[in-house]
Amino acid sequence: MNLNNRYRYETIEERDILIAVPSLVIAIGILYMPRSLADTTIGLDAIYPLLFGGGITVLFIWLVGRIASRFPEQSFLTYASKLTTKPIAIAISFLFALHGILITSFELRGIAEISHLYLFEQTPIEIIGLTFLLVVVYAVSGSRAAIFRLNALFLPIIMVAVLFLLLFSFGFTRYDNSIPIFQTDLQGYWMATHRSILSVSGFGVFGYLLFYISLVRSPKQAPKKAVFGMIWVVVLHLMIVVITVLVFGNITTENLTFPVIELARTIEVPGGFFNRFASLFFIIWTMAIFNTCAMAFDVAVLALQSIFKNIDKKKIVFVLSPIIFFLTGLPKNQDELGMVGRVIGYFGLGLVASVTILFLLLYKIRGVK
Amino acid sequence: MNKRSKFKSENSKASSPQQDDSFTIEIGTNLDKNLTSLKTMLGEPTDLIIREITIGPNQEKIAMIYMSGMTDNQLVHNNILKTVLSSQPQADADLLDYFYQEIIAIADITKTNSLDDVSYAILSGDTAIYVDGTNTVLLMGTAGGEDRAVEEPQSERLIRGPRAGFIENIGTNLSLIRQDIKDPNLRFKTHEIGRRSKQKLVVSYIEGIIHPDLVDEINRRLASIDTDYAVSSGEVEQWIQDSFLSPFPQLVDTERPDRAVEALLKGKVVILVDGTPFVLITPVTLTETFHSLEDDNQRWIVGTSLRFLRYLSAFIAIFLPSLYIAIVSYHPEMLPAKLVFSIAAAREGVPFPAFVEALMMAITFEILHEAGVRLPKIIGATIGIVGGLVIGESAVSAGIVSPIMVIITALTAIASFTAPHYSMAISLRLLRFTFMIAAAFLGLYGIILVYIMVNIHIVNLKSVGIPYSVPFAPVIGKDWKDMIIRAPLMMLMKRPAYLNTKDDTAAKKRRQSK
Repeated sequence: MNLNNRYRYETIEERDILIAVPSLVIAIGILYMPRSLADTTIGLDAIYPLLFGGGITVLFIWLVGRIASRFPEQSFLTYASKLTTKPIAIAISFLFALHGILITSFELRGIAEISHLYLFEQTPIEIIGLTFLLVVVYAVSGSRAAIFRLNALFLPIIMVAVLFLLLFSFGFTRYDNSIPIFQTDLQGYWMATHRSILSVSGFGVFGYLLFYISLVRSPKQAPKKAVFGMIWVVVLHLMIVVITVLVFGNITTENLTFPVIELARTIEVPGGFFNRFASLFFIIWTMAIFNTCAMAFDVAVLALQSIFKNIDKKKIVFVLSPIIFFLTGLPKNQDELGMVGRVIGYFGLGLVASVTILFLLLYKIRGVK
Repeated sequence: MNKRSKFKSENSKASSPQQDDSFTIEIGTNLDKNLTSLKTMLGEPTDLIIREITIGPNQEKIAMIYMSGMTDNQLVHNNILKTVLSSQPQADADLLDYFYQEIIAIADITKTNSLDDVSYAILSGDTAIYVDGTNTVLLMGTAGGEDRAVEEPQSERLIRGPRAGFIENIGTNLSLIRQDIKDPNLRFKTHEIGRRSKQKLVVSYIEGIIHPDLVDEINRRLASIDTDYAVSSGEVEQWIQDSFLSPFPQLVDTERPDRAVEALLKGKVVILVDGTPFVLITPVTLTETFHSLEDDNQRWIVGTSLRFLRYLSAFIAIFLPSLYIAIVSYHPEMLPAKLVFSIAAAREGVPFPAFVEALMMAITFEILHEAGVRLPKIIGATIGIVGGLVIGESAVSAGIVSPIMVIITALTAIASFTAPHYSMAISLRLLRFTFMIAAAFLGLYGIILVYIMVNIHIVNLKSVGIPYSVPFAPVIGKDWKDMIIRAPLMMLMKRPAYLNTKDDTAAKKRRQSK
């Protein structure tokens, strides 16, 4: 409708990118990130590899933004075909669709596991996952701009919950938990850097901006916004790691399944109305996981949509949903789930990094518009 | 589908030939024949008054026709009948022109040749004068009849605000708006809706403030209405709303002229329908449905606090019963031990699970409310007593529900009525049931899933093309100061940015010359 174009309410705008980055990245990963970092480091040493890894991710998201913003109002497939060839572009789109599907099912399984742990013991995991998937399907069936609007609605609530958590756990911090300093060996730093890149990049989901930024009409500022969004994420990670390690100490953090939720368990909300902040925190976190799921699913749909132009969006959604639900059931236990997460993460990171660098090189060499 | 619509259009053509614009019945020159054809067309109604008069030196016959009860009697008697009877036309004068120019003391007077125009005018309360020997008819705007006085609106009360409300007569309603806005750019665009009722519908806006696309879109939608009779503005609302599947009102109704005027000045469209005191305002956003004019009439600290109170009430109205269900049946550990014990003690002896308990009370309340609305005012008080007894004392002492449930039901009910728009209050009460069912199945997790679903619905919903979730999503920071809080007036110099108004300055600080 003419009205929408005039008001620019049905397109994705630059400001949406700033909100989209944290919404995309923040999900399950951050809930157990302090454990995987504390695992390989000593004391508070996790912050250095986190800063380093965060820096690399910020650099990469800037590159992603740079290349995607060169092709405003074009789909990923269109500009990828210009830079490479059509078959290669289709292959890359397929890989991104696959990543989107894997991420969706990973997050779905994750939320089912955590609900099972913290909210109800008796309800079967499948039911929890299925209901969540149905809600995600409902969101993806709607308009794309609406998903970005959802980000804007939910992100403030999530941020308030995190700040609340950090603020109230401040009283439980013990400074001797931060020592010893610089005792980690290089191997440990190396592992921690890997893991922090995995977490900060949200298992490679930040690469979805390759799809989204090019949809923005005038994406001049988009790379900058994406960088700001990423810095925001890194700062959030830093704060959470620091507080978690200071409260629990390195050794305890290492052995907690979801240290951030445990953190929420320790704090007491003044007023004596809510006994368990953890349940409430997790409920709010559901929205963060939902945002990631919806966007990952949407990227899979977007990628497939551009390949199969004649197929209706809803059909793609309805074909993908059972596949995602089937994949959700594959990992046998939480250890396997964690491993799967890492594999998906490396797959995503490798995909995004190679595609971005390849595109940048081709762009410089060929100079296509 | 195609076949059906084709059939329909042929059918309507056959039954009412006057629908077709190219086909009009001309009026003849013979008075008796003319009168007979008019009477046949209208089916010789008993309230059709035909006064035949013979006048002038040539003894020419004229006839004056109107519907009794639909005209302003004073006007018909004093300004038409009396003047016509006392007139003394010259022998060679053209009688029709003579009346038109000199005799009839009514400003709104037109000539026509078409029988359709005449019958439509008479049915709308105008008076027609036929003169024998000519095929032209004089139509005089004498529409009047019984009207209600302008009173304080029943459905939206303000403590501080004008005591005027719209009435059923659209002419009066337009003048109520006109009285407040003397801007020459105020536009009233008239549509006619209702194939048979031929009601007047007026789209009102201020040119130069409103975004033109908005007016075009609304006019386009209004043109698509094809119905016999629009019972009220509520029906028009349902014809032109964006999504018929939504529980949320995408156009709000108001009985208050001041509210309509405020909307016009913000750059919105106001739709008035003849025969109903409720006018429609569009576009509207979710936050705006919680605004009352009271906020603007009070100082900003009070206004802002009232707004927050209303948001909190909406939250309570939607979530409180479902939170009770979820916490009692799934997560009792979330509450402090003392509170859990007192709830458990109160629930002791209640034979039902929390969900059934809450559902019973909620439905009882809805029944009481519905009965209270339908009953005559005199009996209404009885409902209060019966309701108080049923909901309160007896249910508890019979051991069917717990006292805490009574508190929750009462609080929820009262909270839902703080929404200034009744249509929004109903939506909140409806949503509450969805949340209760979700809480019964999946506890807090169910509540958050339904909450996400409601949000998905809201971000996909539009009011005449404008996202319902503005100014939160898409984020329009400028609008927060009058959409979420009510900032001091000096800070509210601009019209809402989301409406993309052409003239965005609503107020200015005047420079003092020293």
